[in-house]
Amino acid sequence: MNGSVRLRVLRRLAEAVLLLLVVGTIVFFLEHLVPGDPARAILGGASAHPSPQALAAVRHEYGFDRPLLAQYGSFLAGLLRLDFGESYTLKQSVLSAIGGQLGSTLALTLTALGIAWVLSVVSTLAGAGRNGWWARIGAGVEVIAAALPQFWLGVVLLLVFAVRLHWLPVIGTGATGLVLPAFTLGIPLAGFLGQVTRDEFDAKLKQPFVLSARARGMSEAGVRARHVLRHAALPGITLSGWGLGALISGAVIAEVVFARQGIGQLLVTAVNSQDLPLVIGITFVVALVYVVANLLTDLAYVAVDPRLRTTIGASKA
Amino acid sequence: MKRAISAVVVGLTVVLTAGCAGNAGVATSSSGPVRGGMITYAADREPTCLDPHNSGDMPQTYVARQYLDSLVSETAGGRVVPWLATGWTISPDGLTYDFTLKQGVKFTDGVPFDAAAVVANFHQILDPATQSSTDLLYLDSYFDQAIALSNHAVRIRLKRPYSPLLTALSQAFFGMESPRAMARGLAANCESPVGTGPFKVVQWNHERDVQLVRNDGYDSAPANARHAGPAYLDGITWKFLKDNTSRYGALGSGEADLIFNVPPEDEELARADQSITLQSFVHSGSPFSLDLNTRSPIFSDIRVRRAFVHAADAKEAVQSAYAGVFPYEGNILSSGTPDYDRHWHETLPYDPVAANRLLDQAGWTHRDAEGYRTKAGRELSVRLPYNADSAETPPADLTILQDVQAMEKRVGIRVVLDARDEASMNAVKGDPRAYDLLGNYWNSPTPEVMYIRFSKATLDVGNGENTPFTWDKGLDDTLLRASATTDPATQKRLYQAAQGILAAKAWSMPMYPIQTRLAVSKRLKDVWIEVSEGEPVLSDAYLSAGG
Repeated sequence: MNGSVRLRVLRRLAEAVLLLLVVGTIVFFLEHLVPGDPARAILGGASAHPSPQALAAVRHEYGFDRPLLAQYGSFLAGLLRLDFGESYTLKQSVLSAIGGQLGSTLALTLTALGIAWVLSVVSTLAGAGRNGWWARIGAGVEVIAAALPQFWLGVVLLLVFAVRLHWLPVIGTGATGLVLPAFTLGIPLAGFLGQVTRDEFDAKLKQPFVLSARARGMSEAGVRARHVLRHAALPGITLSGWGLGALISGAVIAEVVFARQGIGQLLVTAVNSQDLPLVIGITFVVALVYVVANLLTDLAYVAVDPRLRTTIGASKA
Repeated sequence: MKRAISAVVVGLTVVLTAGCAGNAGVATSSSGPVRGGMITYAADREPTCLDPHNSGDMPQTYVARQYLDSLVSETAGGRVVPWLATGWTISPDGLTYDFTLKQGVKFTDGVPFDAAAVVANFHQILDPATQSSTDLLYLDSYFDQAIALSNHAVRIRLKRPYSPLLTALSQAFFGMESPRAMARGLAANCESPVGTGPFKVVQWNHERDVQLVRNDGYDSAPANARHAGPAYLDGITWKFLKDNTSRYGALGSGEADLIFNVPPEDEELARADQSITLQSFVHSGSPFSLDLNTRSPIFSDIRVRRAFVHAADAKEAVQSAYAGVFPYEGNILSSGTPDYDRHWHETLPYDPVAANRLLDQAGWTHRDAEGYRTKAGRELSVRLPYNADSAETPPADLTILQDVQAMEKRVGIRVVLDARDEASMNAVKGDPRAYDLLGNYWNSPTPEVMYIRFSKATLDVGNGENTPFTWDKGLDDTLLRASATTDPATQKRLYQAAQGILAAKAWSMPMYPIQTRLAVSKRLKDVWIEVSEGEPVLSDAYLSAGG
């Protein structure tokens, strides 16, 4: 990594801090717009029947009776110290609540991203730029895959491969337990990736450098895999940055169906019970994943496209 | 205790399938209970705290029953029998309860169970910082103090007579915990409460499971247990499988040995399955009901309330939505509750003619373009907020609400179904201007639940638990007199009279009783459901060798 790339990373980080502050602010005010009473969430939510005295005591203890701007001020001060506070419902700190769940979600989403890439590359190499029914079927399958609702796909995979065929566990926690949830998230993403990669692949196949490679006597498979794919992969890499973020925020579907630990489930519970510190903490983590993923995307670009190694720093920093 | 709205299916399903045949450590003797083996129990909901003194939600009692013992236990016949208390005497005025405690019992952290421990438990339960919603309506207004008389004798003093006390204490919500563990503070105690029970908590993996292992030193089973001494199972993985398909699927694939709450749509399939048995238990207490807000301008008129119930055809709605899995219950108490009176089972049956006549009498005589009744230019329209989360309002419950909506339209009442998220449902509770109708239920081992639901005392607590926002002097007096007597015949007469009063008031339209529904593998023997809160009991369960 040269100096200009480092500068670019620093700039990205500065942007990230700003982004996270904005995200935190938006979530803070949105949560306060939702009707409902955080004091009730603290006193047990829907199952509880706290008395008005108990509610008043909690409101005072947590400062809910202070003006909203004053609450926002302490909230920002907490953010700057990276102190997300304690979850209202879980009786533990937000960081430890998220820490306990994050590993599982990252394993799931990274595996799903890997699966999406393998599927889309195989499909592209096999079908793109060729004529006839094989290419058309490939393109059709990609469209269908991209349109599959994850919750439906998850239940179908579960019923077929776990309940009927017993090939994989319904609720396994190890590596085998990762397969079905990862495919549930990976297949629709593979459809998206496949579509953009295929389009780009078709376009790049018509470029002069392909002709010259063929003229050098390179095999068709070699041309496709070594030259064209390198170019065709770029839009897919861009999409992956977004994809990873989308996988994290969509992980809840696979987590519920396959009963996996994860921040997706945690977020849904937190939103439902108006657990403001937890909602903000998780939103932060998801935003952070987007930021890191975009940073990695930039670096991957440089790795895949040698032209950028000399120009990126000079032109953008 | 209860969980508002979420009603529906607090079923419990324990299923053990043949898929677990490979369980290690199961002895091979051919008859009688065998020691050893791990099982996986799949629950549908995860508690927010493992210490049931905090909050008061059903999933807490189900798991807490495995690691906490209570002072007393309730039998299927509604009798109270010894547990950690070997005996007790009640003073003639009903104000003093003297308990004799079992000796030689230790909490799993080594702290001895004694009178000081009991006092510490009541202290924690009643401490506002514990945020117990169970104590608020069961104990708070009656409880004076707990005193250690000697090492193994405890006295509970009440402010006023309260005959349901023993029954209330049989719930796992009032299980005994180690004073040393409680002293760590609520946060730590939520993660790993320590009791004297047959299992102990090893670890809570949030959003996944609670790991429980056998307490090898266990010797304090309740008098109604099937065996004394330590549990047979080595341990339990108490798994949270919220999704119906995967919970039932885990049972089918053998990854779960018991599942809680067979989805109603899978009930028929489960019945036909030779490898599992179904157990169900109808909770005592107050069934799932639509409560009518008497402070709403419309339902303040008893004629309109009665007309609403006459028109709803609740019986048909329940039968069509739950396909006979859940029975219809038209009484303010569920059929399993002590002193239940069948006479009040269906006091306001489906009768559209009567409904129309009552509405005419109440002055709702005009009709607007859509056919809804009006009075002085106002439409006869009522709001029914419900929780949009399908875990809280399952599809079958929504069907019931829609059926009621369609039936009410026939007599000219518009029912506005208002789907809300949990946070805004919380805001509705306790606000008499926010709803006309609201779903509610309350699981309780005692008919005193009528007082909890509909008394002036509950209204004064102001926590929204008195959903109709009203009370009646005659009803309060009847129920307080029942609390003040220990004579079963007098109690029965008074509690049955109270059911009659409530039937006449039409404050609430009962629909179906809450059930605990377990599907148990044929290989897993002697799982039973205790009756105070429908908690699954696994301390007598064992894996049979033959399976």
